[in-house]
Amino acid sequence: MVLMTAARATAAPRRYRIPRYLRPRPRTVLGMTSSAWTVALGLLCVVTLETVSRAGLISDLYLVPPSTMATRAASLVTDGGFLRQDLLPSVALIAVTFAVAGLLGIATAYLLWRSDWCRRAALPWLAVYYAIPVFAIYPCLVVLFGVGPVPILVVSVAFGTVVVVTNTLTGFDSVPQPVVKLARARRLGAGQYLRRILLPAAAPDILAGLRLGLVYSIIGVLATEFILSTHGLGHYIADAYHTFRVTDMYAGILLICVVALVLNVGSATVAGRLDWRRR
Amino acid sequence: MTSSARTTAAETTVPAASNTPGSARGRLLAASAPVLLLAAAVGVWWLVALLVQSSVLPDPATAVTRLVHNLGSSRFLGSLAGTLARLAVAYLAVVVIGGAVGFALGLSRFWTDAISPLVYTLYSIPKVVLFPLFLVFLGLGGASQIGFAIFSGILPMILMMAHAAAGVPRLPLKLAASLRMGRVAVLRTIAVPSVLPAFTSALRLTFGLTFLSLLIVEMFSGVSGLGYELLRTIPLARMGDIVGMTILVVAVALAPVSVLRVIEQRVNRRFGESKEIS
Repeated sequence: MVLMTAARATAAPRRYRIPRYLRPRPRTVLGMTSSAWTVALGLLCVVTLETVSRAGLISDLYLVPPSTMATRAASLVTDGGFLRQDLLPSVALIAVTFAVAGLLGIATAYLLWRSDWCRRAALPWLAVYYAIPVFAIYPCLVVLFGVGPVPILVVSVAFGTVVVVTNTLTGFDSVPQPVVKLARARRLGAGQYLRRILLPAAAPDILAGLRLGLVYSIIGVLATEFILSTHGLGHYIADAYHTFRVTDMYAGILLICVVALVLNVGSATVAGRLDWRRR
Repeated sequence: MTSSARTTAAETTVPAASNTPGSARGRLLAASAPVLLLAAAVGVWWLVALLVQSSVLPDPATAVTRLVHNLGSSRFLGSLAGTLARLAVAYLAVVVIGGAVGFALGLSRFWTDAISPLVYTLYSIPKVVLFPLFLVFLGLGGASQIGFAIFSGILPMILMMAHAAAGVPRLPLKLAASLRMGRVAVLRTIAVPSVLPAFTSALRLTFGLTFLSLLIVEMFSGVSGLGYELLRTIPLARMGDIVGMTILVVAVALAPVSVLRVIEQRVNRRFGESKEIS
């Protein structure tokens, strides 16, 4: 009895409080879920920008209200000259880049998967590939091919392919051993193995790689247009900046953000549908 | 960022290894293969240059000679030093600020879930089109270039660190709670070792992004720096110079990244592979 009270007396002053990091994640904070907070914080940013620029705290040479950007962006979309000169060339280049980078990436990954030597030779380079600023070859290409779609395509494909290669390779490696053994027992040919086992098994990883490839294609095309070109969305923004058309510049930026977001969400939905691992 | 985590995963599984990785011959082959590939690429370049005999395609020797020649000029050396200094400042900020903010954010799983979609949205738009904003607010000088380089590198750093800290396995955390461990002890013995692999991957990945962004904006608005020098030589059409500089850029990128990769592999061996985030 005496012992117990003594123990309680020593334990009581040092009551252990579990650090918050160890506690389970709360479902809501201040009655809002995390998704609700995401939306609220996003809206807060937009509203802040709107009030700051409407109140004239920042000169309209620097910042225009988001509502003005949106109106101008909407009028740009219906402007025939802008569509023909800037939006369509960019979208076409992105589409071609994405198609080439995707096919080339999957084909390269298959080659590396087939040949052990190629794989050993290429993997260290693939791993450090994105440390190399690929855009550094753009000036060489401009001298070789002139300002036009060819240098943009080459740089963007070079930028977008490798991410498809690495992801596809991961997918090819993910085929479970029993399936490999079964295929060997059934004496599947190389073509059959590719069609029936390798591609379906790797599909989720290939899709993830293609999604990233799409993002990289967009970045590649817009960045090269931005640096040096005569057409395209990237060029439009650079030109608007150089000629002090601030509203046009912001409208172009907003348009690109919307296009990138739509493509991103769209590709996520498509990938989610086709991804058998998540079913 | 998915790619880097996956690359490391891909490397560890060697397919149907014909040479056992342990044997001396296998190790030698594995080490020499990448070098042989590089040598073959340079060989093909040299051969094509010899066959074409054109001023727009210099052979490797010309490119290197031009590079050495350029490195003798004080203006070019100034540009190189300027780029390296801006890169150092930007990268340091990315690592210190991004690492700390990401880790702190990741300690709360709720706020990681709430805030990371916003950061991810910002990350997924082509950031280069936002560069005029940096010019508008920070001016034409080095500040806007450094600011933009930090902006490009810090977003993936925050995302990777937040996900790593929020994704620490539950079991050791529950054990820590039942052992009545304090906050500092939990961070020191569980959280930090768990995020180390992700941190080293992020170190390597963000270096590439920071350097790439810096180079792009130097091409766009620089008055000095490697990117500016590269673009300046276009109207002069001196291909030997351009290719020489491109080689220099690749060397500047690869040297630190090779070191970071070695560190990453050591950390992975000791603390386990970093988990993929997407």
